[in-house]
Amino acid sequence: MAGAHSDPLTHPEVAQGGVLRYIAGFISTTALMGAALVVTLRHDQPYETYLGLVGGLALLALVSQAVLYYGLDISRSQIWKSVALMLTMPLFIITVGLTVWMFQSLDQRTMLMPQTMEQPTLLQ
Amino acid sequence: MAEQAAPGAQARLFYPGYAGHSQISGRTLGFWLYMLSDALLFTALFAAYAVLDTPMNAAGGPVASQIVNPIEGFWQTVVILGSVTSYSLGTVAMKSGHRAGLVWGILGAILLAIVFLGFGFGDLAALAAHGAGISRSGYLSAYWVLILTHAVHMVFGILWMLVMLAQIVRLGFNEMVVARLLNLRMFWQFQATVWVCVYVYVYMIGA
Repeated sequence: MAGAHSDPLTHPEVAQGGVLRYIAGFISTTALMGAALVVTLRHDQPYETYLGLVGGLALLALVSQAVLYYGLDISRSQIWKSVALMLTMPLFIITVGLTVWMFQSLDQRTMLMPQTMEQPTLLQ
Repeated sequence: MAEQAAPGAQARLFYPGYAGHSQISGRTLGFWLYMLSDALLFTALFAAYAVLDTPMNAAGGPVASQIVNPIEGFWQTVVILGSVTSYSLGTVAMKSGHRAGLVWGILGAILLAIVFLGFGFGDLAALAAHGAGISRSGYLSAYWVLILTHAVHMVFGILWMLVMLAQIVRLGFNEMVVARLLNLRMFWQFQATVWVCVYVYVYMIGA
């Protein structure tokens, strides 16, 4: 963590913001979401390929936000935020991943599903 | 025989008000940890949504592909990113002590946030008018709760911005106000991060 500053406006967390960085964050996230939208509207890939493509674009958008909006890096003023995020990421993945996996297993073994399903979901 | 103090007995672990401690860094790190726990709340909602997003849980009611529009969702994404960028650019003006620049940035962020919420509440009102309310099916319960939880965060963010506008005018850029403005910047950027997840998970994969 950074030391004390007599003028709060000179604090590293205030100084880290920048016009170019925030505009780059806006443009990159919008462009990545636009690309994901085009992939979604074309609907011409197998479901697994589509999930991989859109998931990859979303991951890039999130990384872009982490770097350009939040300003996460390994500098002295940001290192503990970056470490906390890295330690929390597995919890996100475990929470959603295990829940979907458990219910997919339950779904296949105990639930009678109607034959009218037209659209695949994460459980199928 | 004189009693000898144990080595280090006089040492203090923490000095309140010690100049080496940075109030701003401590507050922003603490708030960041709170936001990570808030993100876990959304993770639980996403997990519930994934489980309930099946035709069986729609119970004869609408499924995702019938209630979400990825093109409209994209415009919502642009608007919320615009709001976050407006606030963030305002904090760049703060670096040089420009109150007016920060105030305009916050006002722009509030305006765009209201537009975003208008889209969202318009969609929910249309669903409710068609009988697809929060209690219609398990799937719709998950959908409504996810969207409303994000919307409630947005509403509190707007209220926080209004409070900060008053504090900027009354107190100026003192240490506490600057720390709150930095925390609000993280909170507001976090709303865009959550929305990107909602957009991809619900509006794209669901479509």
